[in-house]
Amino acid sequence: MRTVIAEDNALMRDGMAALLADHDVTVLAAVSDATALLAAVEEHRPDVAIVDVRMPPSFTDEGVRAAIAIRAAYPGTGVLVFSQWVETVYAHQLLREHPERVGYLLKDRIVSTASFLDALRRVAEGGVALDPEVIRQLLSAPTVDAGLARLTPREREILALLAEGRSNVAIAADLRLAGRSVEKHVTAIFTKLDLPPAATDHRRVRAVLRYLEAQPR
Amino acid sequence: MTAVLLAPFTPRTWRMVGYALTSLLLAVPAFLVPVALVVAAPLALLGVGLPLLVGVLLLARHLPGWFGSAARPLLGWDLRPAPPLAGRTVLARVREVLVDGRAWRAAVYAFVKVPLAGVTAYLTLLGALFGALLLTSPVWWATGVDDLAPLGVDSGLDATYLTLAGAGALLLFPWVLRGLVAVDGVLASLLLGPGPAAERIDELVAGRAALTAGAAGTLRRLERDLHDGTQARLVALGMTLARVEKRLEPADDEVAALVGGARTAVTEALDELRDIVRGIHPPALDAGLPTALSTLAARSGLPVAVSVELDRPVPPEAATTLYFTAAELLSNAARHGRARAATLSLTRADGWLRLVVTDDGRGGAAPSSTGTGLRGLAERARALDGRFEVDSPDGGPTVVTVRLPAA
Repeated sequence: MRTVIAEDNALMRDGMAALLADHDVTVLAAVSDATALLAAVEEHRPDVAIVDVRMPPSFTDEGVRAAIAIRAAYPGTGVLVFSQWVETVYAHQLLREHPERVGYLLKDRIVSTASFLDALRRVAEGGVALDPEVIRQLLSAPTVDAGLARLTPREREILALLAEGRSNVAIAADLRLAGRSVEKHVTAIFTKLDLPPAATDHRRVRAVLRYLEAQPR
Repeated sequence: MTAVLLAPFTPRTWRMVGYALTSLLLAVPAFLVPVALVVAAPLALLGVGLPLLVGVLLLARHLPGWFGSAARPLLGWDLRPAPPLAGRTVLARVREVLVDGRAWRAAVYAFVKVPLAGVTAYLTLLGALFGALLLTSPVWWATGVDDLAPLGVDSGLDATYLTLAGAGALLLFPWVLRGLVAVDGVLASLLLGPGPAAERIDELVAGRAALTAGAAGTLRRLERDLHDGTQARLVALGMTLARVEKRLEPADDEVAALVGGARTAVTEALDELRDIVRGIHPPALDAGLPTALSTLAARSGLPVAVSVELDRPVPPEAATTLYFTAAELLSNAARHGRARAATLSLTRADGWLRLVVTDDGRGGAAPSSTGTGLRGLAERARALDGRFEVDSPDGGPTVVTVRLPAA
């Protein structure tokens, strides 16, 4: 896998590059601001750009804006955005226009290497990876969406895991359910949310988006 | 000695001469204010003159600025117009104007200013013009340009006496002028100034504003330091531990367990750090109060309908207070009020930022009830000159309104 890293903190930037090199992930460039990131993406066309939300000059949401620009301009490049805190509004912004090849994680997750690499892989393969904390906040929020309100607690639980980007198999293992029964729940979710039959992955992403769209802005 | 001799020619003297003349021009129309007041006050007691009285007092509030327009550039006196009325309703403002000490004192100043300015201008002109005229009288005498007989001059010697008198007048008038201006200065600071109490209030308000702004800035910096320093270091440490784990021989079970434990500890430290930062300065505030409130609502654990209508950003101190207030109110609604839904609205109107949080819980909340933190919120609002109102009948619903002055 080919990646570029944009992170203004040198300690984090070098650490991440070393960690990824350990796991046979190629880091083509490691830069420290959004302008350099866009140039690096243009030059290398990586599979995934790993982006810090807060970067110079204003240290607010440069990373999110750069990530959205990358998704719009380079369909083949995914973005995995890292934030120092959970911001559901950023998750909305990232997923609104291009709800694929997008990840949004807390920086803390880098420490659990397995989930970091897992998220990276899912984004590279065209999927969505959201931080469990983001999902938790989204789930505890009001459900103004009638379809979402119809879900049973178990179905909400499974939708949360879908939103994180987990596969049916992973969900079954997590919840200690049979694969068949997870499939049934997932189908029930799609039916209740009135998602038309289509490529399953697409429907999964759509289900996640329904969650996000149901949030008050 | 030189100071005495040169006094008539210093810029300061001539600025005072300028002040003496212009302030007389300003004082004459201003005299109408106390005159109108004398007419309006008894009429107001009968009721009919009240609008006139209020109008005149409103005019009187402008007197410090009016006189300041000459005193500020010429003498550097700090005469500021009275601050705008704080009352929100017409009735409140009328009451405020009627008891406004500054307006009444300014009217008194306008009354005494006319004779004072008249005397000052008269003595100034007398001293300067006659002094100059007399000083040069031998010239007039010699050239016979003018007839000096009315002054009792019929010889060159008399003209010399007059010269001495003129020089005396010229040397004396700056000191008379300074004395009169000093008297004027004392009167102006007593009658046109904000008064000792108001001055003290101004100082305290300015001091508190600096403190709260400073505190908001400090907390923001602290948040930055924790995120960019401590959090980054912890994550880097975690990454290093992960790399160590990967390099371990499969047989090193014991070491693997130790490193794994260390990595878990790092994760827990990061979780704690996140909670701490949230309590100090929610970083979401950097993205603006609307964003921060949406995130807060999403995290609150009960359905919250958020509506924010702001035409421009909220100053940091107010934003922090509103954010923590909203956080506390939503958590109260869920915890104490057993609410099933809540609404949160933030608007700016009539010079106030208005945050309203409602919930459909069981009600009965009061700032005096312990454990709800409402008292603390009320104090927080008061620290920014805000108001805090709780309407929470038993059985609900609860409506809490926080208003902060919008600068």
